[in-house]
Amino acid sequence: MRFIIRDTPAQVGEYVANYIAKRIRNFNPTPEKKFVLGLPTGSSPIPTYKHLISLVKKGEISFKNVITFNMDEYVGLPEDHPESYHTFMFREFFSHVDIDPQNVHILNGNNPDLIGECTAYEEAIKAAGGIDLFLAGIGEDGHIAFNEPGSSLASRTRIKTLAYDTILANSRFFGGDLEKVPRMALTVGVATVLDAREIVVVVSGQRKALALSKAIEEGVNHLTTLSALQLHQHSLIVADEDATAELHVKTVKYFKSIEMVQDQVERDHAELVKRRELSGKQTGF
Amino acid sequence: MSTSPNGLLCFTNCLLVQEDGSLAKKDLWIDERSGTIVSAQRVFYSKLQRPARTIDLGGNILSPGLIDIQLNGAYGFDFSVYEGDDQAYLDGLKMISSRIVETGVTSLLPTIITQERKLYPKLLSLLAPTSAPGGAHLLGWHVEGPFLQDAKRGAHSSNLLLPASEGIKTFEDVYGAENLQLGFERADGTDAFGVKCITAAPEVDGVLDSIEELIKRGVVFSIGHSTANSVIATRAVTRGARLITHLFNAMPQLHHRDPCIIGLLGASFLPEQNLPHDAHRDQMRTADEVAMARARKQVVRKATVVMDEATVDLVTPPHTPTGGQFDDLDLLQNVKDIERPYYGLIVDGIHSHPNSVRLAYSAHPKGCVLVTDAQPQLDPNLKDGAYEWRYGKRLVKEGHKLYIEGTDTLAGSVIPLGACVRNFAHFTGATLAEAIVCATLHPAQCLGIEKRKGTLRAGADADLAVLDRDGYVIATWVRGRQVWTAPSGQRGS
Repeated sequence: MRFIIRDTPAQVGEYVANYIAKRIRNFNPTPEKKFVLGLPTGSSPIPTYKHLISLVKKGEISFKNVITFNMDEYVGLPEDHPESYHTFMFREFFSHVDIDPQNVHILNGNNPDLIGECTAYEEAIKAAGGIDLFLAGIGEDGHIAFNEPGSSLASRTRIKTLAYDTILANSRFFGGDLEKVPRMALTVGVATVLDAREIVVVVSGQRKALALSKAIEEGVNHLTTLSALQLHQHSLIVADEDATAELHVKTVKYFKSIEMVQDQVERDHAELVKRRELSGKQTGF
Repeated sequence: MSTSPNGLLCFTNCLLVQEDGSLAKKDLWIDERSGTIVSAQRVFYSKLQRPARTIDLGGNILSPGLIDIQLNGAYGFDFSVYEGDDQAYLDGLKMISSRIVETGVTSLLPTIITQERKLYPKLLSLLAPTSAPGGAHLLGWHVEGPFLQDAKRGAHSSNLLLPASEGIKTFEDVYGAENLQLGFERADGTDAFGVKCITAAPEVDGVLDSIEELIKRGVVFSIGHSTANSVIATRAVTRGARLITHLFNAMPQLHHRDPCIIGLLGASFLPEQNLPHDAHRDQMRTADEVAMARARKQVVRKATVVMDEATVDLVTPPHTPTGGQFDDLDLLQNVKDIERPYYGLIVDGIHSHPNSVRLAYSAHPKGCVLVTDAQPQLDPNLKDGAYEWRYGKRLVKEGHKLYIEGTDTLAGSVIPLGACVRNFAHFTGATLAEAIVCATLHPAQCLGIEKRKGTLRAGADADLAVLDRDGYVIATWVRGRQVWTAPSGQRGS
C-alpha cells in the first residue's frame, strides 16, 4: 500500500486527478480497448472531479474511451432526485467532461428486480474486462462504498441496509430529516473493489481520521471495511493533513519517505524504458 | 445556420437565471428539433446522448426570453388601429413578431386601448395567437377598456367608455361572444383562442359581478383605470382578479386610511393565532363574506357619502377616500384566503418614481411584472420627434417619454423591456437576475403559462435571451433557433 499526504483537500484532489490522468494516458485507451474506471460519490472526491474536469477542458485527457462504473446508489430514490448519485455524478462530473453516456454505469436503485440488477452489474464489469482503477472515498466508520461495518470482505454487488451512522451523516442532505433518508442502497462489494487492478482512495478531513488509522494501522477487520485494502497489491491512499490526526507520527514519516523513494524509482524506470526503446530502434529490433 | 447532428445543443460557460432570482453557473441543454429545453440529466442517462453541438456564451447571462404582457404596438404598427384590411393588420402583427426579438422579447401580449365598440369583435378575432417564422410569440390579446373609470381614463377616449350594465352579456356583446370562449391548447402548445387579459375598473357598473364568469373563460382579470376603494378592490381580488394594470398610474394614490388598489400589495391575512382550532375557524370568514358584510353597511351609509371620485366629472379631484376605515380593518384582519395580485410596473423612471417602484417591490416582490406599455413608436432606432397617433392626435417622443402633443398626459412609453429590467435593478437594488425574473417568470405565472414560457424548466420552449453582465441583450433565441444577434462588437437594447 502507498500512502500520500497533502496539505489540503484541494491538493489531494489535484494529486489524485493527475494520477488518474497519467494512468489513462499511459493506458492509451481506444474504442476497442477502453480504460475502465470505478467512481465514488461524496464530498471527498469533489476536488478530484474538479481537477479532472479542468484537465479535460485543457485537452490534456479525454474520457471518450473511458468506461465508468459507479460504486453505489440509493434504493427507491428517483433518479433525478437532487440527492441521488445519478444526479451527483451528472452535476459534479459527467456533464462537464466528454464521456459517452453509453459508457456510464450506475446501479439502478429503482429496478423492481434489485437482485437481478446487482448480478447484471457484476456481469457488466466482467464484460468490460474488469476495472483498471477504482477510485474510492471512505465513510467516518471506515466503510468503502456502502459496505458498512460488518460487511463481508468477500462481498459482491448487493442490496445493503445503511448503518444508523450513515443515515445520520446523510440526513444533512435530506433537510435533517432522518425519515427522508433512504434505508437501503445497492453497492459494489468489498471483493468487487478488491478485484480492480488498482485502487485509489481519497480521504480528507479530521472526521475521517480515526477510520483512516484503523484501516492502516490495525489489522484487516470487517468493522472497518477499508482495511481490506491491506490485501490488495496495488493500492494508494491520498489524504490531507487533517485526516492524519489519529495516525502515529512514525506511520506518517514512514509513508512520506516511501513517496520520495517511489518517485525516484518511477523516474528511473521511465528513463530505462525510454533508453531501451531508443536502443531497440537503433539496433532494428 | 449550423445545427447539431443529434439535434441537441449545449449552452456552456454561462450564468442561468434561476426562478429564485439567483444566477447559476450551469449548462443548459436544448433540443433544436422540438424547440424545447430538455432535462440534461435525463437525456444523458435515459437517451444516452449528449449534445453534439456546444455554444460557449463567454460568461454571459442566459435568461428565458422576456415577456411583455402590455404592449400597444411597435415599429410604427398600432394594435389598436384597424383600417379595414385584415391582411394588412395580420402583416403588421408578423412584422412586430419578427422585429421585436432584437429587444430580447420572445413573447408578448398585444394590448388594445379603448376602441369604438363595433371594432372589437373584428380586432380581437384577428389577434389569435400567432408568430412569424423566427419571431416572437404573440400570445393573444389584452384589452384595456372600454369598461374603465372615466376619471382615470388616461389617454383613453372618454366618449368610448362603457358600463357593463348587463354584466357578462355586455362583455360578450362588446368583445364578441366568440372571442370570449374558453380556449384550449393546440398540439404545438399555443392557445387556440386569443383571450388572455382584460383590464377593467371593478367599480364600473356590472364589472365586479362579471369577474367570476370571465375567470372561468380563462381571462386574467386586471384592475386598472379605476378609482376602486380598498373594499371594492379587495372584492375584485376575492372574485379572481389576478393583476393590477400599470400600478400607480390611472388609479387613486395610496392613502393610509384607504389605500385603494395600491393597498392590495399589502393585503394579507394575519399569521395563524394560537386559538383553539374550532374557535379560530369560526372567527375566520372568507374575504368575500367580509366584503359582502362591508358592502351591506355601505348601502346604509350611502346617503351620507360624499361624491365619490368615480362619479365626479372628467377632472380628477384630489383623492379623498370615502371612509369605512374600521370596517376595512375588519376586512383585512378577518380574511384568510386573499391572494395578492400581480402588478404591472412601467419602469421607465417616468410613470413611477424610483422610490415608488422600490416600495411596491418591497411590499410584494413575487407579484412584480415589468411591462413597457409601449406605443407604436417603440423602436430602439427611432429618433425623437412628433408622430401621428390615433384620433388625429400626435404623440411626442422624447427619449423614453411619450406625451399626447400639447399636453402633459403620458401615453404609454417607448422603452424597450430590457431597459426596464436594468432600470428596475438600479431603482430597487435588486440583482439583475431578480429583475429579469420580473420580466420572465412573473408575467408567465400571471398568465398561467410558466410551464412553457418564462422559465428554463425542462419541457419549456427554448425561447431565450442572452444578456451581458450589464443586462444588455446580445442574442435572442426562439424555439431553439437563434433569431437575432447583436452586430459584432455592439449590444442591443
